[in-house]
Amino acid sequence: MNTLLAVIIGALTVYLAYTLYARRIDRNVIQSDPKRATPATLYMDGVDFMPTNRNILFGYHFKSIAAAGPIVGAIVAASLWGWLPAIIWLVLGVSFIGWASDYSAIVISVRNEGNSLSAIAHKLVSSRTRTVLLLFIFFYLLLVTGAFVMIMAQVMDSQPRTHLGIIMLVVMGLLLGQMLYRWKTGLVGATVFTVGVTLLAILSGPWSEPAFQGLNAWLNGLTGGAPVVTYFDPMLAGFKGAEAKIMPSLLFWAVAIAVFCYAGSVLPIWRMAQPVVYVGFWITALSMVLGLGGAAVASFVKPEVAQFQIPAFKGFNPQLGPAGIMPLWPMLFVTIACGAISGWHALFGAVGTARQIENEADMLPVGGGSMFTEFLLGLLALLAVSVGAKGAPVGTFASGLGGFISVWGVPLQYAVSLAFAAFIVIVLVVTQLIFRVMRITLTEWLGDVIPPCRNQHVSSIVCVLLALLLVVTGTWVYLWQLFGGANQLMAALALLLVTVWLASVGKNWLYAGLPMIFMYITTMASLLVTAYNIYFNVYQPNREAGRMLPMVGSGLMVLVALLLVVAAVFIGIDGWRAFMKYLRRPTPTPKTAPARG
Amino acid sequence: MATRPFTHRLSAGWEAVKQFMYGMTGHEFARHALEMRHELEAVFMVVTLGDLIGVPILPPVYSLRLLPYVVPEIAKWKRHMAKRREFWEKEEYDMHGV
Repeated sequence: MNTLLAVIIGALTVYLAYTLYARRIDRNVIQSDPKRATPATLYMDGVDFMPTNRNILFGYHFKSIAAAGPIVGAIVAASLWGWLPAIIWLVLGVSFIGWASDYSAIVISVRNEGNSLSAIAHKLVSSRTRTVLLLFIFFYLLLVTGAFVMIMAQVMDSQPRTHLGIIMLVVMGLLLGQMLYRWKTGLVGATVFTVGVTLLAILSGPWSEPAFQGLNAWLNGLTGGAPVVTYFDPMLAGFKGAEAKIMPSLLFWAVAIAVFCYAGSVLPIWRMAQPVVYVGFWITALSMVLGLGGAAVASFVKPEVAQFQIPAFKGFNPQLGPAGIMPLWPMLFVTIACGAISGWHALFGAVGTARQIENEADMLPVGGGSMFTEFLLGLLALLAVSVGAKGAPVGTFASGLGGFISVWGVPLQYAVSLAFAAFIVIVLVVTQLIFRVMRITLTEWLGDVIPPCRNQHVSSIVCVLLALLLVVTGTWVYLWQLFGGANQLMAALALLLVTVWLASVGKNWLYAGLPMIFMYITTMASLLVTAYNIYFNVYQPNREAGRMLPMVGSGLMVLVALLLVVAAVFIGIDGWRAFMKYLRRPTPTPKTAPARG
Repeated sequence: MATRPFTHRLSAGWEAVKQFMYGMTGHEFARHALEMRHELEAVFMVVTLGDLIGVPILPPVYSLRLLPYVVPEIAKWKRHMAKRREFWEKEEYDMHGV
């Protein structure tokens, strides 16, 4: 197998699924009508509801859903099961489930006055669904922040060459916010300056490496080389499990990332979160475009970086830890999330994008088109990890992506630096935003019952401390899979809402209902498997060794997994009742669409 | 059926690429700038015409002198304020690419 063949498979998947399946559903089931008024045109307020050109909205929606998900998922799945199951799930997932979820979330919001999924759930299913959804979303965000902070801290601790670039990214992000909103500098000039300086800093990474190595050594010397926390990590010793140590330098970087995320959460969004994301976007986009192009032409230009290095298939149930089970079903389907299907896309599409849809004919190109593009991003990540040298998963990904970038004449050392930085940048910028959404969700959920939660500093600190507690368990793969389970379950719940809505308006619900049943059962099973793994692989060994902190962290993870299952059961029961109610009802006569003014 | 010349299709394609790039880059800043302006205008409206939503602040004579300038915004402003739990409350719900 080589990368050219994989890119051709990817392009064919997009073409066939879009033209033969997605368009048919849009035409025959949803019956999108360009003459029907959308919420953006009906309730235009110049801010939230704003008719926007389809190409602009495509770019906006794609950028909003494309994050670290497709990259991390592909890295983990390829290292556990091999590249073949991963590519099959990516292709089938996006073709039959992923686009349907993203597109339908936009459709259901557009046809329901631009309401969010929780508001539609309140209307169509039951009043308690909104509260359960908020609880669900909070814990789902907690899991992803825990996983991301851990991944970033580990990479930053082990790769001092990335530090200068990351520090400069934050400084340039702050400067960009000041330039755009206070000094009124033009976007193009400000972009060239801030992105250029950040890129220079990233490429200078190897030169600054000794200085940061010295910093790490000094930090570790503070405790005389003794670890701050010791825990049992089932990922080590060839997945047999061994003792792992959190050294002061790793804790320092985890806390530094937490402080950065806290600032991103409480400062005005224009001051830090938005411009840092923008600068980071250019770094990542540059790496991904060079990487995808490089993967396509590498077979002709530099064949040695185009051949797959990892096994196609490693087995149905790879050993992970002394008592762990990792069956391909259901675990693969939650490990690879965003490139195949993601609940986050549905959440965002229903609120952020649906209110800007100018014309119903734009719903498929924007919602479905963005998901298919995201699939290509997931495929690129899978290719990068499949051709990379052996080693830690993130390092494998960076060396693979660096190889693709080097096809364009960039020296390999600098290309790998850029790939490492692109990975950390995308994870870092996403994490600060997740903390922001998480503290808002906490305020929405508990603000009325516990008034201090309405204070942004209190809610942000609670979120940061909870995430750090998860970090000290050290088992980021489980955190990632718990997040994947919650994320995919969120997608299943979005599809459940779509199914109920389709039944309520007398349309054929099968295109959403069948994927919903598959994802619902799969993700519930995966959450239970992960809870089992964490209990026997992490909680038990740490309890036997009398390690309090890792025990509390892993215990919390088990609780969160079970809580998510219970919440999903409640939503499922309510959804089933609502579905049956609408199904037994006589088919309603469709209302006449208001004419466009 | 008449087909468009190749150059037209090429320029339409280039235009679409430019719009896509703008969507990925500048659109969010433009939206946020609009939102900030909207917020400032909402504060101005509360100060001048707060009595329309039950917050009498300025003596009516000043409100009347300012009224012609703010008439086009009143309907949108009232709808916007009605969405809030408290009129001074503004939260960032935009998820910005997570």
